[in-house]
Amino acid sequence: MNIAGEPFLVLEFADELVYLTPYTTTLLLFALAFTIFAIISRPERQVDIVFGGDAFYAKKTSLSEMRFRRFMAIACGLASMGAVVTGDIFNFTLFISLVGICNVGIVAAVKIRHVQEAAFQYGIVALSATVPLFGAAALTAATTGTLSMIELGKATTAAVSPVIKALLVLGVMGEGMAPFYAAKAEMFRAPGAPYVIMCSLSSLLIFLRVIEVVLVI
Amino acid sequence: MWQQYSLGLLLVLVAGVIAFFALVLEKDDLHRLLLIDLVEIASLGIIALLGTDLAEALILPGLVVGIAELLALSQIYVMKEGIKDCVVKGLDIEVIQADAPLIISILLIIYGIILSGFTGGGIAGLGAVFYIMSRGHREKFELLEIAAGISWAVWILAFFIFMSFPEYWLTALFMAAVGILLKVAAKMALVGTMWGDNPL
Amino acid sequence: MIQKISRIISNYEVIMPLFAGAVTVLFIIAILSLPLPYHEDQLYTKTINRSSTLNPYDRGGLPFTDVVIKAQYPENSPTAGYVTTYLTPLSWFIANSTLHAGTTIVAHPGGILDEILYNTRGLDTVVEPTILFIAFAIASYLFRKG
Repeated sequence: MNIAGEPFLVLEFADELVYLTPYTTTLLLFALAFTIFAIISRPERQVDIVFGGDAFYAKKTSLSEMRFRRFMAIACGLASMGAVVTGDIFNFTLFISLVGICNVGIVAAVKIRHVQEAAFQYGIVALSATVPLFGAAALTAATTGTLSMIELGKATTAAVSPVIKALLVLGVMGEGMAPFYAAKAEMFRAPGAPYVIMCSLSSLLIFLRVIEVVLVI
Repeated sequence: MWQQYSLGLLLVLVAGVIAFFALVLEKDDLHRLLLIDLVEIASLGIIALLGTDLAEALILPGLVVGIAELLALSQIYVMKEGIKDCVVKGLDIEVIQADAPLIISILLIIYGIILSGFTGGGIAGLGAVFYIMSRGHREKFELLEIAAGISWAVWILAFFIFMSFPEYWLTALFMAAVGILLKVAAKMALVGTMWGDNPL
Repeated sequence: MIQKISRIISNYEVIMPLFAGAVTVLFIIAILSLPLPYHEDQLYTKTINRSSTLNPYDRGGLPFTDVVIKAQYPENSPTAGYVTTYLTPLSWFIANSTLHAGTTIVAHPGGILDEILYNTRGLDTVVEPTILFIAFAIASYLFRKG
């Protein structure tokens, strides 16, 4: 039927199905592993060494900031799990937006000016990316009459126009910044290692998933 | 082939092109934020063109996502620009110094509870915001956040009743209504409190 | 070459114009690829009955009776019809005594909730308040600790 393999587990939430294929199961396990990792690990302490001298600054992370960022990282992990397994186009776009806002939340709590600047710039891209995302979902529903990926995968359903697929991919790229990781470099410079990893991992996962979605529908 | 749908789509897409082109040119962060609010309308237009009851079901999440992200981004903007001096005391109008806000707020909250659901939450929250704005802010922040969290949990529970025990749909319906009432009201009130000049 | 591109992209000032430019180009391509065919056989079809008191929101049926809803998988939500027809007593009263109940949102059939959103497409409504929740968490954290 498709590159991802046959769904072997289908959970029914009324009109929205959640299904697992070998491909999405792999992605789900990755997301799960890193979420657990974010829960149990302790944040790094960043140290800046002044070049040519003995002086160094240790950047302190307050307890509340750590708690907040851990919460955001866990939410981000759960959101990418949802995005990976959902079987409904519109629900998928909603999960992607959730990943986007969690990514912003992970870095926005850091009280360093350039990090906040980067978080803001990244945030407005994520916000404007909801336009092609939701637009693609609505166009899919209008041209094919369904939003369920399983229905769209069947040969009897009308084909989805390539422009709509391109809009969907562009939307995901805007939310996750994948594959332009370079644009997130400023965000990665924020202290608190296990949590910023979640940013890049989640965008990688949702990008891999949207490729599957575009090939299936 | 050019039916009403394609014509409508043409209009919305042209509007989207204009708005996004403006975003390409704009350099100021605050104006970008405002322009994105405009761009969102184009996306709502594309959804609305679907023209079925499904469109209605998709517009609400679309709208909420836009508003929520806008709120978070505005706060980040305020933080990064270091804007601090936004002194908003109680409104200085004679009527408001008397008992009027209390009565109006109580009426709004009761009416909101009667309406219930999303609209009701909005109206009840408006009542709370009005009271807080006219009286300055003495409200407990944590209490509102706890209320929002609990109502979120009620909401999710209602969803699972809908999915697992469809025969109890009336229970689930009422739980969902109460959940969203509390949630929306608490959040509206939270926004009202955030007007204040010094954090609690 | 790649180094050059990545250096430009890594400047976070330019990512917004870059992304907006990409969307603009794609929207123009979308305009050129019009007209798109509208699929006539839609789910949750809407009928406008001007003589109904619930006009734009009339989905048929009396409270506590079942109506047929054209869902994707009707067997998964057997009570959707009941949820649709439910009206709160107040909206039931308004609908019976005036002609224009439907023009106010009070008189949504379902009275308190939009049934498609909250029953058959329930998973959407779980994600949607979660996004709201996260956004408020970010804003209130920054406000309190900022």
